[in-house]
Amino acid sequence: MNQLYQAKLLEQAKQPHGAGAVPRGTEDAEAINPGCGDEIRIKLSWTPEGTLERLVHELHGCAVSAASASLAAKRLEGRTRKEIEAISAAFAARLGRSGFEEEWGDFQIFNGIERYPARIHCARLVWQALAQALARENQAGR
Amino acid sequence: MKEAASQDRQGGFDPGGLRRAFAILGRELAWLDNAATTHRPEAVLRAMDEFYRKHNANPRRSVHQLGTEATLAYEGARSKVAAFLGASAPEEVVFTAGTTAGINLVANGLARWEIGPGDEVWVSAAEHHSNWVPWQQVARRMGATLKVIPLKADGRLDLEAFHKGLEAHRTKWVAVTWVSNVLGVENEIRAVCEAAHAAEARVLVDGAQGMAHLPADVQAMGCDFLAFSGHKMYGPMGIGALWGRRELLEQMEPMIYGGEMIARVEDGDSTWTDVPWRFEGGTPHAAGAVGLAAAVDWLRELPPAAHEHEAALARQAAEELAALPGVRVWGPAEGRLSLVSFSVEGVHPHDVAQVLDNRGVEIRAGHLCAQPLLRRLGVESVARASFFPGNTADEVRRLVEGVRAAQELFT
Repeated sequence: MNQLYQAKLLEQAKQPHGAGAVPRGTEDAEAINPGCGDEIRIKLSWTPEGTLERLVHELHGCAVSAASASLAAKRLEGRTRKEIEAISAAFAARLGRSGFEEEWGDFQIFNGIERYPARIHCARLVWQALAQALARENQAGR
Repeated sequence: MKEAASQDRQGGFDPGGLRRAFAILGRELAWLDNAATTHRPEAVLRAMDEFYRKHNANPRRSVHQLGTEATLAYEGARSKVAAFLGASAPEEVVFTAGTTAGINLVANGLARWEIGPGDEVWVSAAEHHSNWVPWQQVARRMGATLKVIPLKADGRLDLEAFHKGLEAHRTKWVAVTWVSNVLGVENEIRAVCEAAHAAEARVLVDGAQGMAHLPADVQAMGCDFLAFSGHKMYGPMGIGALWGRRELLEQMEPMIYGGEMIARVEDGDSTWTDVPWRFEGGTPHAAGAVGLAAAVDWLRELPPAAHEHEAALARQAAEELAALPGVRVWGPAEGRLSLVSFSVEGVHPHDVAQVLDNRGVEIRAGHLCAQPLLRRLGVESVARASFFPGNTADEVRRLVEGVRAAQELFT
């Protein structure tokens, strides 16, 4: 029955990778889903070599936004800023559009999300916060 | 479905018969999102269709035959709405795009000229954003303070706190909802109006959630303005009405300038035509007004048993949901009109709604455009089932079963 709620999505949502406390005011960026008021705050930490060490997210949101945050954290940790930007763009081109190919692994749980247009915003939430965090870091010249 | 409908017949009301007036309910969906928008019965669709097929013209402009028919249809709709509200005259009814448009017109066209630094504007904690943000913004712009009527534990207005806080000559406006779109409780409008008027303040009532369920009588309410939408009372989207006291409408500034709202246009300035037409600049949504009038006719025909039935469904849903472990139902135990908002521990309201959707049960989830209220309840979003007289006890059963299924899936 639940095309959207496949076992893999529920698994990610129940134990999201990277979930942790990001107290208000300490976040690098936040994003709000205006449709439902859901909110995510994220904090990025980088290794001295310039790869993403951790993407910590504190989410007040649904299973779809939780699964997306979990998959994003898993996919992006260990990547350079440049790689992260490329992955973000590739994600945006696929979510609700062309869909995710096999190499995207568990991201394929979002294939077919275009049938639930209201939920695309949920899957996009963490990525919106990420884009904002990266833009801020760029501005700060880091 | 048939069996369930006959179960519901006890008490002399047959939701199955009423459902047949709604073509869209031929789909196997349990529509429990009536507070967001109702569906429209055939009579409303037919009235709009006939306007375009038989009488279409730009109303109030042309001397030709169709122009006359369109004007008669449009102004006839105004008279019908005015009578439905107990208005003193049809001219007290302004057609708007909906509740939001009506409230913004009053807040910006009248209230802002009456509010100054140090003054107070009151809203209740139960307001929809559409009856909060316009007042918040007017208060900010004019240097006034926005004050909030708190709610008691049962979700009703704390009128004692309101009475204590009211200050004559300082409190200028009070904006309050007739029925909360989250808690489903009818507010004591008359008491609010009496207290406000004693302090020489004006009152606007957001009628959006009341019109489909309660008899509207602006004289009994005692308010100065009542704004509502067609689409929440079986009428079309994109049309609503604002009722206002004639002398206040005369003082209100138009907010939409353009065709058919003027008396005379000079190069440098203009004068306005009469109330209410000066507030209806541009070609009006005449088919919408005609559809709204048809909805009014349809509502008038509903027997009292229909409203008892929808309230009974909401009560049943509230009781059965509250009996599930981990489910919290918001709002009062008694006097619930036709909706129930609830939270399921460990399951986000969107996920509850999606699981229900997969089972053909359509409910609303989210902040319900009432973030100040939800913050006070200590939640970011809720799930809400809202009923109309064509819903059945079987649909309530499917709702409760679906919530149980969501709990199983997520916990």
